[in-house]
Amino acid sequence: MNFTLHIWRQECANAKGHFETYKIENISPDCSFLEMLDILNEQLITGSTPHSPLLTPHSPISHPVCFDNDCREGICGMCGLYINGRPHGNDDGITTCQLHMRKFKDGDDIWIEPWRAKAFPVIRDLVVDRSAFDKIIQAGGYISTTTGGVPDANTIPVPKHAADEAMDAASCIGCGACVAACKNASAMLFVGAKVCHLALLPQGQVEAADRAKKMVAKMDELGFGSCTNTYACEAECPKLIKRQNISMLNRQWISALLGRDKK
Amino acid sequence: MVENNSYMNLPKIHSISKKILVGALGAFLSFFLLFHASANLLILRHDGGEWYNAFCHFMGTYVIVKVLEIGLFAALLLHAGLAIWLAITNKMARPKGYHKPQRSKTHTGSKLQMWTGILIFACLIMHFTDFYFVKIGWVKGKYMVNTEELMKMKATQPAAVSFAEQRGELSAKGNWIANLTADDKAVLQEAGVEVEPDFYHQAREKFKVLYIVIAYLVFFTVVWFHLRHGFAAIFQTFGLYNYKYSRAIEVLGQIFTWGVCLMFTTVVLLVYFGL
Amino acid sequence: MNLDSKIPSGPLAEKWTNYKASQKLVNPANKRKLDIIVVGTGLAGASAAASFGAMGFNVDIFCIQDSPRRAHSIAAQGGINAAKNYQNDGDSVERLFRDTIKGGDYRAREANVYRLAEVSGAIIDQCVAQGVPFARDYGGLLDNRSFGGAQVSRTFYAKGQTGQQLLLGAYGALSREIARGTVKLHTRSEMMDLVVVDGRARGIIVRNLVTGDLERYAAHAVVLATGGYGNLYYLSTNAMNSNGSAAWICHRRGAAFANPCYVQIHPTCIPVHGDYQSKLTLMSESLRNDGRIWVPKKKEDAEAIRAGKLKPTEIPEENRDYYLERRYPAFGNLVPRDVASRAAKERCDAGYGVGTGYAVYLDFADAIQRLGKDVVEQKYGNLFQMYQKITDENPYETPMMIYPAIHYTMGGLWVDYELQTTIPGLFAAGEANFSDHGANRLGASALMQGLADGYFVLPYTMQNYLADQINVGKISSTLPEFDEAENNVKQRLERLLSTSNLSPLTSRQKSVDHFHKALGKIMWEYCGMARNTESLTKAKQLVKELEDEFWKSVFIPGSANEFNPELEKACRLEDYFELAQLVIDDAMHREESCGGHFRTEHQTEDGETLRDDEHFMYVAAWEYHGHGQPETMEKEPLVYEHIKIANRNYK
Repeated sequence: MNFTLHIWRQECANAKGHFETYKIENISPDCSFLEMLDILNEQLITGSTPHSPLLTPHSPISHPVCFDNDCREGICGMCGLYINGRPHGNDDGITTCQLHMRKFKDGDDIWIEPWRAKAFPVIRDLVVDRSAFDKIIQAGGYISTTTGGVPDANTIPVPKHAADEAMDAASCIGCGACVAACKNASAMLFVGAKVCHLALLPQGQVEAADRAKKMVAKMDELGFGSCTNTYACEAECPKLIKRQNISMLNRQWISALLGRDKK
Repeated sequence: MVENNSYMNLPKIHSISKKILVGALGAFLSFFLLFHASANLLILRHDGGEWYNAFCHFMGTYVIVKVLEIGLFAALLLHAGLAIWLAITNKMARPKGYHKPQRSKTHTGSKLQMWTGILIFACLIMHFTDFYFVKIGWVKGKYMVNTEELMKMKATQPAAVSFAEQRGELSAKGNWIANLTADDKAVLQEAGVEVEPDFYHQAREKFKVLYIVIAYLVFFTVVWFHLRHGFAAIFQTFGLYNYKYSRAIEVLGQIFTWGVCLMFTTVVLLVYFGL
Repeated sequence: MNLDSKIPSGPLAEKWTNYKASQKLVNPANKRKLDIIVVGTGLAGASAAASFGAMGFNVDIFCIQDSPRRAHSIAAQGGINAAKNYQNDGDSVERLFRDTIKGGDYRAREANVYRLAEVSGAIIDQCVAQGVPFARDYGGLLDNRSFGGAQVSRTFYAKGQTGQQLLLGAYGALSREIARGTVKLHTRSEMMDLVVVDGRARGIIVRNLVTGDLERYAAHAVVLATGGYGNLYYLSTNAMNSNGSAAWICHRRGAAFANPCYVQIHPTCIPVHGDYQSKLTLMSESLRNDGRIWVPKKKEDAEAIRAGKLKPTEIPEENRDYYLERRYPAFGNLVPRDVASRAAKERCDAGYGVGTGYAVYLDFADAIQRLGKDVVEQKYGNLFQMYQKITDENPYETPMMIYPAIHYTMGGLWVDYELQTTIPGLFAAGEANFSDHGANRLGASALMQGLADGYFVLPYTMQNYLADQINVGKISSTLPEFDEAENNVKQRLERLLSTSNLSPLTSRQKSVDHFHKALGKIMWEYCGMARNTESLTKAKQLVKELEDEFWKSVFIPGSANEFNPELEKACRLEDYFELAQLVIDDAMHREESCGGHFRTEHQTEDGETLRDDEHFMYVAAWEYHGHGQPETMEKEPLVYEHIKIANRNYK
């Protein structure tokens, strides 16, 4: 298969950035999207290709395209490209590394952009800084335990439906597709998933309202937008996390407002 | 090196609080819409406006309603203001946009909400010109006068009373002489008689004009979109949307949205076709 | 080299208790005066840093990814073992200990393994308290499933994402400490050198991967939790950025490297399908609970399938060879990983493979019939979806194709009972050390070991080490040793970049990945699932040649002062060349077959591993003597006082 790639190139955080066009040929439909980019990079580095004689990059020595990736099996949350108007590309419930070229048509133009959000500044090319997510978690996305001194695991039974729902919420991989997809660059689905995961379990209920309060405050502070119920996040979440988590976050927020905690 | 939590003490309104306020005000406005739509059904009675105008009289004079009216306007402005504030901060969350337009499967209603809201605001001005401003006196319309008032003035203002007598039956029980024009209003006011707007005839006159009818139909389509998204969004924002009730909320939203919009538009259309 | 394993005295079951009772402690006021560096944020690193932070130490933690949550522990699917005996099926600490030793083919240290089994229960308690959503039954109690090499159900799981949930638990605990200020997080930071002052590990040199700046960090102790070196083989189930460099750097600085040839090959991975392929995806071992592995009984059927003329579903039951059930009736499809991998290779080599010829079927038709599609979907839904996304085949309708792939490395930095390497003050935890799995790791034990090391072992042994360090005072990062280490890194980067003076268009230069792929192929071919003197000799030669070619014709674009993934890869590959030599040497010297190390010269009549306990019952610890110099090996004898050594039999 042959493709024309339009890739966002930006040398560093402060550089201006622009789209660069590359042609790539003889790609197997079983090739994953990131492997296709590997092939492109290989061609950029060596200046030639095993399949087609030469590429036409702008400069003779082109730095390979930088993009974040790690596990390449859809669980680490490291990869994330905005492909033809959709975070993680044109398929549901997958990360970019799970997208395969068979999902495209031969000869397609493919536009590849980094996540765009104030809270996710570009580092280089398609690599963005998502440490804002870590900061939100640090604001309270955990149960306050220290090592040791905890009760036996079976002391507190957890209703199966709660455990299952918590698991669904907890499957968030922190890739940032929700923010990338949201027209407001809001992190509500990310925050909602964590708040729900912990609030649904008896172990996490103690801090539930306080946790919601702190995490949302941090989210606002870091420059994420707010939710306007468009649910693009839900549509693009590689782990199919549901909007119900946002609703539950709102509920936790209300109970924090109405709670007895003076803060 | 403990993380600075001072922002928790500042009287800052966080995003979710703003959204909850917008939602709450929206819910209030929705209730008003339902109320308004139900009341409008009275226009369909061919009673010369007896019931509808009685209702309008009540609404125009009862003191608690007057207070609520101020609340209604405040709610409307606050609802719009907060939404715009949120929209601006949301816009700021993505200083550089995407080259390719978004192709995710989303709820269009939400993306339109801001614009439908602004359109509704624009349409409201039309609506006010037709009705509300008549009440304030900024715009001329149809008027009515209570015969009880006139009877009291029989001795002092015979001219006014006789003018009224030509238009309708004068009785001491206090029926209304309606469908008065602005000129009639001038005469009566000269005589010091209190005149009220006659919304029944006002409506029946406006809804006979084709372009106004079309404008209202467009108006309610926009309202439909705004409510359609807003209704479910309120549940979502209030944390009431969950796996169990999501279907019920969806259905309820459909019923409410269609109900309100159909009530309004049926009145307009029926009047236009003279039914 | 001092290979004192420091195993405490007393009966096996009391060793850890005795150690804890007699170890030295650091008083609370002093803890905040002591600095600890933790490299790596996987299960072992994150849990250790969180525990140290909560105890009051000053911790700096480093990871190469953009967030601690990306560490490759996240990809573990199946579960975590613990001797809780919640299922009342006869499990106990003793049995978990014995299974692990036997699973490791009697090449692990008894005391370490016993301690691991002993603390396993506490791990589950800890994780539940952190909010790990383990699977539960309708009564709300924890559910278990069974895994390879065990006849009890002791594996706790969270769908097919157990590693993710455990890591997020540890990440949560770590985040809490970061918020409290006890732990400082450094992301996109790669350890480039270890600083040793007066024989003790006192700091590290780090390259900021965004800016390329070299940074110095000093501390009283360094913990290495940087995982294994499986990516030496290029195609593996490891993440693209997983690498063995941090451990190798420490080896260069004097830490002994133990048992490098023990590499685990996981039997259930999605087979290779093209040269562009960058990694192999694991299909959880838990699938073997319900899936049945088979190949066609007749060669002509296998050929027809490979030619695309026959579908697997068209082969009648009597023409299928469920070879694991046939060969190992007692354990059936749940034999340990090395056994299952070799059996698959044996069938494929004999010409019964499907797909490209290097694949076997993992069939769920029976399970779907027995349990219903819904139950199967609930248990394995996400794995099936993952498989379908990659292969475009629906595993509910046609059997999955699987083949073994490099998955885990049992070898690693040599550590004593306290997890301390041969460099005092340098500790190694998780996959980075060699300690608990012997020659083969059982499924669901890596998570257990990572968390055991981080939550329940290091917090104790670290105190024992640091107790007298309070007198040393703050370590300065301006010591000459830091200068030397930083210069060393600078020179290294310059050396690599100087290979690329020519424009790639005018010369025949190749990318780092090109060499990495070539190295991987050599290692897989000649030092993979089956090894012998001949293949190893060849491998050694080929690796040497490849390394020479690397220095002649590699092209590394960009500079050292920028975000430059190619340079990162080049550094790691440079280390792999040395590591590959050591893996080959170790495989060569170990003239026996055990666990994941299979020498074709040493096998039983029916193709099982043949150990040589008389000559090889030891840990091989290697010492580095400079680039290109042969390493020397010292033995730590394995003494089995408690367990009865037997043949490893799963029939």
